[in-house]
Amino acid sequence: MSILHLSFYSAFTLSSLGLAFHRTHLISALLCLESMMLSMYVALAMWPIQTHTSSSTILPILMLAFSACEAGTGLALLVASTRTHGSDHLHNFNLLQC
Amino acid sequence: MDLPLVLNTLMLLTLAILSTPIIFPMLSSKFKNTPSTITSTVKASFLISLIPMIIHIHSGTENLTLLWEWKFIMNFKIPISLKMDFYSLTFFPIALFVSWSILQFATWYMASDPHITKFFTYLLFFLVAMLILIISNNLFLLFIGWEGVGIMSFLLISWWHGRAEANTAALQAVLYNRIGDIGLILCMAWLASTMNTWEIQQIVSPTQIPTLPLLGLVLAATGKSAQFGLHPWLPAAMEGPTPVSALLHSSTMVVAGIFLLIRTHPLFSNNPTILTLCLCLGAMSTLFAATCALTQNDIKKIIAFSTSSQLGLMMVTIGLNLPQLAFLHISTHAFFKAMLFLCSGSIIHNLNGEQDIRKMGGLQKMLPTTTSCLTIGNLALMGTPFLAGFYSKDQIIESLNTSYLNTWALVLTLLATSFTAVYTLRMTLLVQTGFVRIPPLTPMNENNPAILLPITRLALGSITAGFLITSYIPPAKTPPMTMPLYIKVTAIVVTILGMMLALELSKLTQALIKPKRNSFSDFSMNLGYFNPLAHRFITAKILGGGQNIASHLVDLSWYKMLGPEGLANLQLMASKAFTTLHTGLIKAYLGSFALSILIILMSTY
Repeated sequence: MSILHLSFYSAFTLSSLGLAFHRTHLISALLCLESMMLSMYVALAMWPIQTHTSSSTILPILMLAFSACEAGTGLALLVASTRTHGSDHLHNFNLLQC
Repeated sequence: MDLPLVLNTLMLLTLAILSTPIIFPMLSSKFKNTPSTITSTVKASFLISLIPMIIHIHSGTENLTLLWEWKFIMNFKIPISLKMDFYSLTFFPIALFVSWSILQFATWYMASDPHITKFFTYLLFFLVAMLILIISNNLFLLFIGWEGVGIMSFLLISWWHGRAEANTAALQAVLYNRIGDIGLILCMAWLASTMNTWEIQQIVSPTQIPTLPLLGLVLAATGKSAQFGLHPWLPAAMEGPTPVSALLHSSTMVVAGIFLLIRTHPLFSNNPTILTLCLCLGAMSTLFAATCALTQNDIKKIIAFSTSSQLGLMMVTIGLNLPQLAFLHISTHAFFKAMLFLCSGSIIHNLNGEQDIRKMGGLQKMLPTTTSCLTIGNLALMGTPFLAGFYSKDQIIESLNTSYLNTWALVLTLLATSFTAVYTLRMTLLVQTGFVRIPPLTPMNENNPAILLPITRLALGSITAGFLITSYIPPAKTPPMTMPLYIKVTAIVVTILGMMLALELSKLTQALIKPKRNSFSDFSMNLGYFNPLAHRFITAKILGGGQNIASHLVDLSWYKMLGPEGLANLQLMASKAFTTLHTGLIKAYLGSFALSILIILMSTY
């Protein structure tokens, strides 16, 4: 594959790994999520340029809109969890009720 | 006159008279038993039972009566069948005569007992059970009598139940008898399943019966007749009152095992294994009991061991294939053994409860009748020519000497015969002769007809019974007629050697020499170390093994380690390993998400 594809794949993979293996703060996970969105935006934007089909040009804009909502949701969750747990440290978030 | 009818009627009348003291108090409350009514009941049934015996001696009449039949299942019916043949017709008068004398003696011996009527009723129950055993023709009725005498033995041995040793002895008697009962039940079960009957006439088959049920019969006789291996209960049974020892444990109950073998003799008369087993077992028992009696100091225990020794001799006779001779020995033995016990009872009561022969002496002048009868009984026991014991004992020893059987059994029996002479003479010398060793101020009085009449009656029986029975009853098999002189006089010579040894040893008591303790005297005094071995060591091992199997093996190891708890432990290990994944933290879930994506990506390559 071309070096363009490699950069998309590696950016996406590294971001998802970063999402999975974040250490302390939830906000670093959200940042990784944003970088995943960014790499997907760039990939979607390169697609009509490479395949010369202009009807899918709207796709990155749609994705951006949804990712903005999603980022807002993520930040709201962050604020809500900080309000309840006192910080956004990950080891506070426990599904176990005991 | 229709002789079988008269025979049958009078035997049933004997049993009916004996059961009247049991039935009448249940019918009306005004009728109460007393010791004297029970004694006269037994006397009446003895006199009535003489007539069938005389009819049998006169004309050889035998009878087989079938009373009610228990329709158990379709093809297995159990009748109450009574066989009045030579054995039962002869044993009835003898048993009733001995019982009458013992009951008359017990009216004096147990006079100070508040429950004397219950004692007599127990003795009567025992007598009825014993007679049922004797007269039964099928093994079921015999088993009823067998169990009856076992139960009454238990109740009578523990008569003074406040005494712990009496309770232990009664329990010992029941347990050892029970082990013998296993053999009898085994034989009955085999017979019921193979021959579909329990009648003695129908189980005599021309083909060989396998050895297993016959071993069961021998085990039953070992338990009931105190052969070696199941013998400790007989000396321990002396805890009961002297009339109990005289009736049960000398004349009647202990011969029930030998009587069973006599009745079922046709089953194993051509089975050499069983015959050799009986021979060797009997020889072992007689020598062991005679050895133990040598160093006993309790007068009742000496007589108990002598009973055990004579029972071994009866077993030897069964092993020689001579059941009629064994029955003759049972009959003559009943007389002098019961008399020995009654004399010892008279001595014990007159010495105010003293049973140790080291504390008796010189009683010949103080209790003349009792000690004369004691001497007669001891001479009869030793086999003095032409007293009662001679006719049976000498014939047994002669047959043993002239047979082609086991020499070891012969040697043991001869040794036991000489030991018999030793311990009886020792007992006689220490009790009757010599210096007086009793405390002064002992009020002694034997001038009571309740003592004198039974003892003298039994003495008369001891002298004449052997002669009368052998004169009127022809032997079933011809006894050996010719033998070399040294074989003919073996029994007498061995007895005289024993007497000389006893006379020599009795001088030790007056010579102020401390007797040396060696391993033989220790063996004899501790009854062969059998009691602690069997009662403590073996039971401890068995119970320990049981604990190992039940608790350690099953409970602890199988259930805990391998079974349910082991599985639970394995699950626990797995659960503990996986707990870290179930913390509920998002990090773990995201990590597993990443892992699964990685696996999917890898799998496409």
